[in-house]
Amino acid sequence: MPLSDPAVWSDLLRQALGRYDEPLLRQVAAKLVRTRNQWPADELIDRAAGTVANAAVIDRRLEDLDPAARQLLALLARSRQPRWRLGNLVELVIALGQREEPFKPVLALFENGLLYPDPASFGPANRLKSFEQIIGLASAGGLTVFAHPAVTVRALANKVDLPELPAAVVGAAAVREADGLEWLLRLSALWQLVASGPLRRTQGGAFFKRDLDRLRGDVVLNSQSADSLADLPDPALLAVALAEVEGIVRDSDGELAAGPLPSSWEDGLPEATGGLYAGLFRMESWDPLDGFRMATPGTGNPFPSAYLLILALLGRQPPGVFVSAGALETWLLEHHPYWPQEDARPSRLRSWASTFVLGLLFPLRLVQAAKDEAGAWAVRLSPLGRWLLGLGEVPAAAAAFPQTLLVQPNLEILAYRQGLTPGLIARLAHFAAWKGLGAACLLQLQPETVYRALEAGFNFETILQTLEQHGTRTTPAPVIDSLRTWANKRDRITIYPSAALLEFASAEELNEALARGVPAVRLTDRLALVPHDDDIDFKHFRLTGTRDYGLPPEKCVTVEPDGVTLTIDLSRSDLLLETELPRFAVALDRGAAGRRQYRLTPASLAAARDNGMSVPLLEVWFGQRTGGPLSPAARLLLAGAQTPPAELKRHLVLHVATPELADGLVQWPETRALIEERLGPTALAVAEENVASLREQLRLLSMQLSELV
Amino acid sequence: MTDGTRPNPGARIPVKLHRRVCLVLTEDAVLAEELLARRKMGQDVVGRLTERVLLVRPGRVEAVVEELKKMGHTPQVVSR
Repeated sequence: MPLSDPAVWSDLLRQALGRYDEPLLRQVAAKLVRTRNQWPADELIDRAAGTVANAAVIDRRLEDLDPAARQLLALLARSRQPRWRLGNLVELVIALGQREEPFKPVLALFENGLLYPDPASFGPANRLKSFEQIIGLASAGGLTVFAHPAVTVRALANKVDLPELPAAVVGAAAVREADGLEWLLRLSALWQLVASGPLRRTQGGAFFKRDLDRLRGDVVLNSQSADSLADLPDPALLAVALAEVEGIVRDSDGELAAGPLPSSWEDGLPEATGGLYAGLFRMESWDPLDGFRMATPGTGNPFPSAYLLILALLGRQPPGVFVSAGALETWLLEHHPYWPQEDARPSRLRSWASTFVLGLLFPLRLVQAAKDEAGAWAVRLSPLGRWLLGLGEVPAAAAAFPQTLLVQPNLEILAYRQGLTPGLIARLAHFAAWKGLGAACLLQLQPETVYRALEAGFNFETILQTLEQHGTRTTPAPVIDSLRTWANKRDRITIYPSAALLEFASAEELNEALARGVPAVRLTDRLALVPHDDDIDFKHFRLTGTRDYGLPPEKCVTVEPDGVTLTIDLSRSDLLLETELPRFAVALDRGAAGRRQYRLTPASLAAARDNGMSVPLLEVWFGQRTGGPLSPAARLLLAGAQTPPAELKRHLVLHVATPELADGLVQWPETRALIEERLGPTALAVAEENVASLREQLRLLSMQLSELV
Repeated sequence: MTDGTRPNPGARIPVKLHRRVCLVLTEDAVLAEELLARRKMGQDVVGRLTERVLLVRPGRVEAVVEELKKMGHTPQVVSR
């Protein structure tokens, strides 16, 4: 979800208020909108959405809040993340000093219409009757809430009651700041890995072993960061967690597939890092204590609130002042409600905050680091970090070094890091595979990476342009030749997965359609292709039939009484039919009526049989296309040759006056043995050698038998 | 029709619309033959509309793309 788009959050706000029971809605609207009239519920919701966008009104509402609620909103504003777990908000309240009634500031925000439950997290059928109901849901399943960015941005100016920590003494010359590209590079490498094959999760949320091995065995994702001051556990799985919250990988039924790389990367480092910064507080599947963690629904995760407290503490320090990473951790462990528990397991009390600050915040360029007199790392917010926390202006862009790529004839690209930008990383990631990250990153041009770029909208010219624009030297001829070959090969086959075909009655009508500017490509003299049917302007056409190939085949064939002539209903037939029929039938010349007909012939069905056609296949086809069974004549033509040989026998036929008489002759044991077969109601076949015996038996019955004529 | 060869320019043209059709267009007829000769491809290609245009069985486009990649082709997939 785009964090910066207010319309998205306004829409979510409307949805949330729509789930309130009307008395609760009126109660909230009375505080937020201060309505004097009895508006309908829908009107109230619209007015509430309008009010949160009104800065002056929101400022007044914030003044009316008690300080704890105001501070909570101010903290949320510093996170740039509108969506939070309710449990994390309570942890923030407690860490800020309100250990008694920690839900009170949260409830106050709900009641004043400044915080909302995420409709997706409290069940599709539930309606909210009171905010105490939310507290119950929160304890049961980790309810998610959100504050509209238009509200939190107004709370940014409020101070947060955090202490000033002792300043660390560091040497000015030794201040270190990362380039901020490390995790953008790693995320683009992860994107490549996922694009080559999705990652699958078990129902419990863990990865299948094969995919976990892929992640943990990837050299690039697990390499030590050139820019990190501490080693992180499970760096590849941290990349997955960050990629998920950034939308770089997307979960679909337990399968993580590659999404697009964020468009914000083209806007520069501050914007690109802003997305990752806000994403830190939504990471569920990784933490700096254990690395990968199972994102089990309903279980708490104290790390997002702890991350925010660390960053807010850093923001609380005077500009330019360093504090020791250890002091940050000490304060956090003393004040965050998750850690001071006396019964906490020792494994939970291991140090992790320094790892987080030095191993993640530092390479993200959110903090600067320097060693204090004792040789321990001390940190302070960087200009980028201060901007993200709303404490400073956007940092000035660093000097640009656009010529930063060395393209080698062996199709390797060396990318010198000082000239990389998030936008260039995204472009390179599309058409070359990351092979190594470091001060100089190594990429490899491959057919499949170039193909991936072509699929994403690049072409030979744009790929070459990127290499030329950022190359320190002219692109070697073998590289250009390879790129051209791969790109040209793609032009040899074009696939239209969901095209529209226009079938005209005549070539003249097709020409007329093209002359009117219909965006179609001629395939035959009567068929034209339009890549997407919503590009067709139907004012030019009168539809004589529509056939949707996503639906099962239409019944559009009539079997004539001869059982071998098939008549096509042209208004319902499709192109599949036109390709199916010639496999086992021959087209007939159109008669005066202009009907399209095919005929099954011994030769056509023999050819079909030689090409694999069988009675069951033809039965299925008849069922789908005619709605009836395979005609006996068709069965005869197809399978006649495969039946046992027919016998030609000489018989006499005995005709009797009534069916009942025939029944009697067939049943009476004395005559039954003399009758070969019953041919009809009154006709019985008799072998010539039995005629005398039969005549004798009939004589005993006093039945007349006329002589053979 | 106004003159027996060109439809009335203002009139709506009668047309039959085939929606959601999956097609493979090849650069030349030889390449189409090569694809049809591939056994796995033959199962998913239901017919040949022209010497360069193959009609793919509905729902089998991904299998066709995968098979083309196995054959060393890099097909251009035209989708929104």
